[in-house]
Parts: sequence; C-alpha cells; structure tokens
Amino acid sequence: MDWFYELWPKLGEAFRGWLESALPDSIEGWVIYLVLGLLSMLVIVNLPIVGVMAMIYMERRLLGRFQNRLGPNRVGPFGILQPVADAIKIMTKEDIVPNGVDRIVFNIAPIVMLTPILLMFAVIPYGGDTFLTNLNVGILFIVAITAVDTIAIFMAGWSSNNKYALFGAMRAVAQLVSYEIPLLIAILGVVVITGTMNLNEIVAHQSSLPLILFQPLGFVIFFVAISAELNRSPFDLLEADSEIIAGFHTEYSGMKFGMFQLAEFAALMGYSAVIATLYLSGWEGPGLPGYLWLFVKVFFIFGIFVWTRATLPRLRIDQVMALAWKFLLPLSFLNVAITAVEVVVWENGLPEWLIPVNIVIGAGLVAIMHRGLNFQGQTRQVVPSGPERLAAINRPVGGGTE
Amino acid sequence: MIGVIKGLATTIKTMLRSPVTVQYPDKHLPMADRFMGFPGLLWDVKIDESKCVGCKVCARYCPTDCMYVSIKDNEKYAEGKSHRKKMVDDFVLDISRCIVCGICVEVCNFDAIVMTQIHEIGNTGRRGLWADMDTLHAMGKEYEEEHGPAYPENQAVGEEETAQ
Amino acid sequence: MVKTNGDAKLTLKTEEVMVNIGPQHPSTHGVFRMRVTFDGEVVTELEPIFGYLHRGSEKLAEERTYTQVITLTDRLDYLASMSNNLAYVLAAEKLAGIQPPERAMYIRVIMAELMRIASHCMGLGFFINDLGALATPLMYMFREREKILDLFELVCGARITFSYMRIGGVSGDLPEEFMPALVKFINEMPGYIDEYEALLRENEILISRTKDIAILTAEKAINASVTGPMLRASGVPWDLRKSDPYEVYDRFDFDIPVGSTGDTYDRFLVRLEEMRESVLIVKQAMEQIPSGPFRALAPALIHPPVGEAYAHVEAPKGELGFYLVSDNSIAPYRCKIRAPSFINLTVLRDLIIGWKLADLVVIFGSFDINMGEVDR
Repeated sequence: MDWFYELWPKLGEAFRGWLESALPDSIEGWVIYLVLGLLSMLVIVNLPIVGVMAMIYMERRLLGRFQNRLGPNRVGPFGILQPVADAIKIMTKEDIVPNGVDRIVFNIAPIVMLTPILLMFAVIPYGGDTFLTNLNVGILFIVAITAVDTIAIFMAGWSSNNKYALFGAMRAVAQLVSYEIPLLIAILGVVVITGTMNLNEIVAHQSSLPLILFQPLGFVIFFVAISAELNRSPFDLLEADSEIIAGFHTEYSGMKFGMFQLAEFAALMGYSAVIATLYLSGWEGPGLPGYLWLFVKVFFIFGIFVWTRATLPRLRIDQVMALAWKFLLPLSFLNVAITAVEVVVWENGLPEWLIPVNIVIGAGLVAIMHRGLNFQGQTRQVVPSGPERLAAINRPVGGGTE
Repeated sequence: MIGVIKGLATTIKTMLRSPVTVQYPDKHLPMADRFMGFPGLLWDVKIDESKCVGCKVCARYCPTDCMYVSIKDNEKYAEGKSHRKKMVDDFVLDISRCIVCGICVEVCNFDAIVMTQIHEIGNTGRRGLWADMDTLHAMGKEYEEEHGPAYPENQAVGEEETAQ
Repeated sequence: MVKTNGDAKLTLKTEEVMVNIGPQHPSTHGVFRMRVTFDGEVVTELEPIFGYLHRGSEKLAEERTYTQVITLTDRLDYLASMSNNLAYVLAAEKLAGIQPPERAMYIRVIMAELMRIASHCMGLGFFINDLGALATPLMYMFREREKILDLFELVCGARITFSYMRIGGVSGDLPEEFMPALVKFINEMPGYIDEYEALLRENEILISRTKDIAILTAEKAINASVTGPMLRASGVPWDLRKSDPYEVYDRFDFDIPVGSTGDTYDRFLVRLEEMRESVLIVKQAMEQIPSGPFRALAPALIHPPVGEAYAHVEAPKGELGFYLVSDNSIAPYRCKIRAPSFINLTVLRDLIIGWKLADLVVIFGSFDINMGEVDR
C-alpha cells in the first residue's frame, strides 16, 4: 500500500518538477506558487462538493433502510447517480427572487454561508503531510470561521421577507450562539490533554490510543453540540419542516437553495472530520492510507448522524436552550476541570487504567445532570385578552420609560 | 435516555430487516381476485353478440353518471339465433368519471358488465378516457381470457334460455 | 437615534406577528388553515378557517339514491371509509326497517375494527411526523396499514374507497383466502404495536414534548361535545361500542383505554392502546362468526317510509352519526352528517392559545382530524 500512500505527494512533486523544467527561470518562482496554489484550492473546494454528493446519496439510502424502504435506486446502478441528477435539476431550476426581499442581503447570504465551510477544509489533516496549511491554531480557526454561518442564516431569514423564514432566523441565532459555548469548552478538554491546537499534532498525539477513550464525556458533549450546530435532528429547529416549512431558506430556490444545502452537508462532512480528528485519531489507522481512513471515519460518524435523525423527534426551542445552558454547559466545565486535574497529576501522559474510570465518571455525571434537567417545566403562558393584551404586547423592553 | 436508546435500537433492528418496497413498474404485486379495475362489457361468444341488451339500469344506478347507453332491436332475435330481444346500440363509459364502486355490476340483470382488473390507464387528451363499446368489449374479453368466465354459476342459465 | 446619556434607557417595542398556517403547510393534515397571532413564539390568538375541501356531500346525498350515497360516504374520512359506510348503512337500515343477517354484522365489525387500526396508524404516524421524527414511525405504520388494505382488497376489490357495506348487508361474502390472511395479520399485529411502543412510548423527547401539554379537562371536553379518543384521553370512558352497542359489539369482551390527564401524551397513548383492543375484538369476531347469508333481501332501490333516523358509530375519530330524513322517495330528503373531526375542532383554539409554535402543530396533530370529514 506504500505506493498508494505516496501517490498524491509524488504526483504533486512530479507536476512541480515538470513546471520547473517547462518554464523560463525568470518567472518560475511565482508562477509555480500561483499554479500550485490554485490547484490546491480547486482540490479543497471540490473535495467537499464530491463528498457532499456521496453523503446525500448515503443519507437517503440509509434513511430508506431505517424506514424499511429502499431509497433512491432508479438513476444509475443502485441509484448512485441520484445526487448528480439532483445537482443538475437544482442548477437548471429558475432562480426566483420574490418581491419585497432585500435583494443584496438575499443574494449574498448563500455565499456567506458556503465560504466559511469551504475554508474549514484547508486545515483538516488528511494524512501525515497532506493539508493546505499547518495552522498552529487549527481547531480554533475551524470553530471561529464556521461561527460566521450564524450571520448568514440570519441574513437569509431576515432578508426573505417571510415570517416563517424570520422564525427560523430567530431560532438560529438563539440556538447556534448558545451551542458554540459547550462546543468550544468540550474542545478545550482535548486541547488540555494534547497541549496544542494544531490538528496535525492532535492526531499525532493519538497515534497509540484515540482520545475518545480519555474524553468520553467531552465526546458526548461535542457530539450533541455539533448536532445542534449543524441543525441535525433532534435539534433541526432552524428548518423544522413540520413547523416553519423550511425555516430560513423557505424563499430560496434554484442554486441558491442548493448552496445552502451544500453548505449544510459540507459542514456536516467537515465537522465529522473534526470529530474524527479530535477523538478518533484522525487519519491514523492500520493498512489503508491516511486520507482513506479519514473518509471511513467521516462516513461512520455521518452514519450515526443519520441514525439519530431517523429515530428522534424534534425538541422545542426552550428545551433546546435548556439543554445547552443547564446541561451541556455545566457538564463541559466539569469535563475541563476533571481533565485538567488528570493532566496535572499524570504529567507524563495519562495511564491506561484511567479509561474505565473516565467512562464511569462521564456516565455518572450525565446521569446526575440528566436528573436535574426538567424538560417538562414548561407551563402554558397566560395570554391576557382585550386591552390588557395590547398593553402587554407593547411593553418596553429593558425596563425604561418612553 | 433509556427511551431514546430503545428507539435507536428499534430503528437499527428495522434496518437489518429487508425492505418492504416493491419496485412497482418492474414488479407488480399480485392482485386479489376481486380487485376492481374499470368496468368492461362481456361478449357472448356462442351467439357472437354482446351480452348487454342496453337496458340502461347500470347508467341509472351509477353514482357519477359516467355511462351513456342507447338501445336498439336485436337483428339476431328476428333471425331466431338469439334470445335477446333488444341489443345495446352504443355504450360509452367515461373512465375519468368512473369511481370503481362496482354498483353497475351489482345491478346488472344480464351479467353483461364486469369489473375488469385494468387500472393502469393514462391518456393525454380530454376525451382520451372515453371508452367506446369496442374498447369495453375488449376489456371484458381480456378479463375473461385471464380469469375464466366472469359468471360461471349463471352460465348454464343463459344457455338454457338460448336453447328455448 | 436612541440617546443613552443620562437616565434615558433603551426602549424597544415588540409587535405581534400574524401568520397564516395553511392551507398549504406540511402539517395541517390537508387544507386546514389557521390564522395565528404570535407574540414571539407564543400563540396569542388563533382562528381556524376551513372549507377548502367542501364538496357538498350532504347536498349531493339528496339527489342520489340510498345505495349511491354509500359511495359519497367513502369520501368523507378517506382514511376510515369502512366506518363511514357502516354509519350510513346503519342509518339507512333503521330508516327502511331492514335487518341485516348475523354474518353480515360480524363481517362489518371485523371491517370496522381493521379500519380503526389503519386509521389510528395514520393518526399516530402523522402526529409523530409533526413532532419532527422524519417519517420513520409513519413509514412503519404505513407498512401495517398496507397489510390491512391488502385484506380489504381481498374482500371488496378496492383499497381506499371501498363502498363495501350495502343496505342490508355487505356487497360480497368473505372470500376463502381471507380468513387465513386475517389470522396471519392478527397474529403479527401485536408484535408491530410493540415495535411502535419501543420506538416511541418511553422516548424522553416525545414525553417532554407532549406530557402536560394542552390539557383538555373532562368537563371542557364534554361541554364541547368532543368524542372519540380525545374524550377518552380526558378520562371519560365514553365509547359507543360499550355505551350504545350497535351491530354485535355487546358480544365481545374488550376494554376502553382511558387517559388520566387529557394531555397530548394521553391522546397518543389512548390511540396506541385502542389498536390493541381492536385486535382483540377482531380475534373474538373471527371465532364467533357464523355462516349464513351475507346480505338481507332488499331491493336495489329502496323507498323508506316517511320518517327520520339517526345512527351513530364509534368511528376512529369519534362519534360519526348520520341523520336521514325520508319522504318515501328513492333519495334521502335530508342527510346530515355529524363529523367527529369537525366537532372535535371546537376546542382547538382553547387548547392552543398560550403554547408555542412548535406545540401548535403537535397539539393539532394529536386531534387526528381529517379534512375530508371536516369540510364534507
């Protein structure tokens, strides 16, 4: 398998050598830099797009099987060309811009949504030395850049001039901002153990044992938080189809809608890769080359996402917020504290007998916190009628006087 | 937590079962014997004429008025070949209005109409689903070829009448 | 610009949003429309608007013969056509004074109970779908409903609009292959109900979304003449099969599942339990069914004596009643349909106001209405 492993770096080297020999010396330096840069960008941009196609196919087939159906199987052998057909269809659809939308914001929103997601793939390590940039704050970069999506969703919802879209946008802001916090603090546990934010070094640290064994609680928190961030079921309130039609992208059609969809699945792919990198020792693995191992892990995690989506009903917005602030946030703080203590006590690496201890501690904490979390605390709001109601609605916010 | 895990276990168990989907245009589920498609008229092979005498009882009982029937004298009765005094002159069934309730079959006194199993009918024209008498007879013939005589218990009675 | 210096503080005015939910909306179960006013996510006002599916079934019945009206009843609650047929046929028999043979009554009971299972499958499936479970339970329940429809196809040749019942009996006797197929289905069905329960009953998310939500008290339910599983979820053991037995229901031994609080979760559970009870009834009916004629001798065109008759059955959605007036002609002089879905909707506004948007669709889903019946 060595030749397979070496294939892509060697191809790059050969291409670079060919360029060097073909070009005159005077312009050689910057042209090679430009061409190789563009080439890497092409790969980085197209990788998620191709990956998303595979994921959409996989999700539909898996959902079909979970629901005792077959799933799409008419286009091509076993229906593998279905995503291609979908892509062609969505690109040839008329791009409708409804009356009364804020045109500039409406048109920019899909771009703002997709760009950060594509940038995220620049720092994910696909193998020992195959990545675009070896950023020393890689994981921080990923979280920071994908947080921009909140704004894109709000832009889309606000500019659509549609009440359902507005509902979706408002939910998005509340939900996505809330879940950033447990997400980051869960990552902190990994960073405390490995002592680095460089994704490649985090993977290198897991060459013997994956970090999920030392961070079971952190993994659970991260997984739940990321489900909410990517608005996967049971946290798919932003586009809860039974409540608010399609949420923030209700008014979008054609390729703009396609870009939202693409961004959503690309984010799913990217974050699955992040989970694999942080907790499942990334591209490390026996036998296969690194990038294939990463893909195997990404699709495994994606399968779990599909599984939960096929099973669980949706939570309500106040329950989702309660879960973030009352359950995940305290748990993530506890997780960081426990991890920090462990790292201080065992300075030269965590001993292996900590693995069952960690799992027991994690399960115990979840059980205790779960008991404290009362989802059913929601009571019916008393709605006054008549003039009282008008007064109640037009209340000043912030306690000031007019 | 336990309930959620139970649910997840249920879905994964279902996933391992084989799917229940039947690939419809490639494979057809077996139809029940009584499956009702659109109605067709039966043909009396022995006398080589329609079993329908055009009495219009089906048209009168049809809840959606989808049938148009006219009646004439039967020439073969005059020649003594048939026991049917009257004969259907024209019979048009608007399949797009038919609701496949089976009432026409129930009320027919001459066992001349039958619910065939033809149900995959499509057309692009507005009048394309008006089945004329020939089409209806063809539908009835197709049904009898596949399923045998439509009213085997009444077969003997008809022959007796013809003999008289 | 808002001045922030001195004592002046930032003031914002909030405003209510009015949203039209429906008639084209994924979770309005057809073409129902609700004009809802929201304060944030909380519903402050709700006005149900219907009539988008109005076909004038009652008026159409006045110019059709008694037999032809059966085909109209198929199209009321199209998820429970057999129950509609049964209610109408009972009313017409009462009017004309025709007594169906015993075998026909057993066949009708079997059909009505199978129909109840199928209808509850759909009701629960769409209810869970409104909760956002992405059609998985719905697909499972469709699977079982298909099996029931296969049984119906064996008997009457149709899968949705059966028109199976006739005045004085049923249109055809049970075919030979029906009984083995029914036995197979009845033996399988409890296992499938167990599967639904494993998937849903203890699911924390489902419980947190439905428990103590939209409590319908027994008093309010009775005052609004709510019937069916909704009433029983409120703790009132009112079931026409027990309280006013029609056909041969008094010969069967079955329980009426009753809820304790009348919240959304109870409405869900009552339907689930009723499916089990229906299985029991079908089992008993299968054992007791006598041989004999399946249809009383009645003319195809009946002229009932001048008078009126009201017959009601416990349809899957509640008390379905037909009120027929005869003037001794071939068609009913007046046909009034008491549609349970329509009357259950009277408590909709009261139940929903004060809950959130996400609860709105769930509460509405727990009503299990059918627009064909609401608009008639």
